[in-house]
Amino acid sequence: MGANFESKYLMNKFFLKKLYIISFIFIPIIFLWHPNWLGFLGVQPYWPLFWLLPWSIINGPINGLLVGLFLGLILDSLTLNESFTQIPGLIFCGFLFGRIKLHSDFLLGHFRYGLICSFGSFLCGILYFLQILFRNSSDSNFLMLIPSVKNILAEVFLTGFFAPFICSQLLRMFKFSRRKIPQ
Amino acid sequence: MLGIRRIFASRWWHKNKNWRFFAIFLFLVFVRISKGAFYKDFYYFISKPFWPGQFQKEIILESSDQEYLIKLNLLKKDNIRLRQILSLQESSNDEHISAAVISRKTGSWWRQIILNKGSNDGVEIGNIVIGPGGLLGRVKNTSLFTSSVTLITSPESKLGVWVDRIQINGLLVGLGDDYPSLILYSKDADIKIGDIVSSSPASTLLPPNIPIGIVQSVDETLKSKKTAKISLLAKPHVIDWVQILKVNI
Repeated sequence: MGANFESKYLMNKFFLKKLYIISFIFIPIIFLWHPNWLGFLGVQPYWPLFWLLPWSIINGPINGLLVGLFLGLILDSLTLNESFTQIPGLIFCGFLFGRIKLHSDFLLGHFRYGLICSFGSFLCGILYFLQILFRNSSDSNFLMLIPSVKNILAEVFLTGFFAPFICSQLLRMFKFSRRKIPQ
Repeated sequence: MLGIRRIFASRWWHKNKNWRFFAIFLFLVFVRISKGAFYKDFYYFISKPFWPGQFQKEIILESSDQEYLIKLNLLKKDNIRLRQILSLQESSNDEHISAAVISRKTGSWWRQIILNKGSNDGVEIGNIVIGPGGLLGRVKNTSLFTSSVTLITSPESKLGVWVDRIQINGLLVGLGDDYPSLILYSKDADIKIGDIVSSSPASTLLPPNIPIGIVQSVDETLKSKKTAKISLLAKPHVIDWVQILKVNI
């Protein structure tokens, strides 16, 4: 019984310590899964921001920037658009989200997560869209792409809608996993 | 007095038998005038259970399906033979790989599907993916067990297409929404709503004559060219099974 208890304790400790990594693994999975019933106009929320915001708030801008880079690399490897990249947007968001912690000590309200994630999603969407425009600018038909701005707007709405639920839960989990566990 | 009463009782209209004859006569006159409508309606009801029913309908539909299939095969063979004579590009019909869609991103900027067949099953980069309705996209990337397909709605997709009614080639450009844009580099092209767009015989990426979509709206505001929005025949957001075609290019 003692051994059983110890193994359970160690497993719990392992899961608590690795909560960051476990939740990180789910980002590309949900990005690929693309559940249509959660979408709006066929567009999904920008999933990586839900993880990036609590991570950056806790770990600061430099860590946020680095993880933004890693996330961008992983998500770019999953998408087929070789000419365009999500890295600039995610790096920028990681850095900005990290700065939020430096400027305000109090815990952010749930609905502020929604606004911050909406802004981040808008930033990432615009940076991606600008790359597409830049790439097609030589074709003289790049103005045809303008109506697809609705993708950005739908994504901003959905990200802002889900962020208060997901980000506050993740932030609570991350804070919980950082606390000292008695030996 | 008695004599008068007897005469009165023997009038013809006092006999039931006569009235019956009269009724039958009237009925026969009605039948004659109505041209047997009563008989026909009566026959309609009694013969109803014996009409050629659903079963016969199925037999006829099956026969007509077989007829169409045979005709289609004959036309295909003719087409291949003529293409060989003219040395045009052809697709090998034998190499179809059926695959299931295991992931799809059909909204936002990333328009791709991932299939459950990869290089292990013989899928190669550049293979064509078709679904019920027509063309879906091209295989862009393969792993051992999966292959990723760039949909024709993706902003990275550019394909040569053919508008059969006006016999003209155009460029189909994905815009990141559900309706790719067809660009015709001729202001005089008489493109109309409802025209069918298929893969171009001149394309080096696709086999010819794969249906793609229907012209939904035409924009004539540009000076040197015409553009049109295309409604795709194959709907990538609902298709679960696709076929991968190997292309001999």
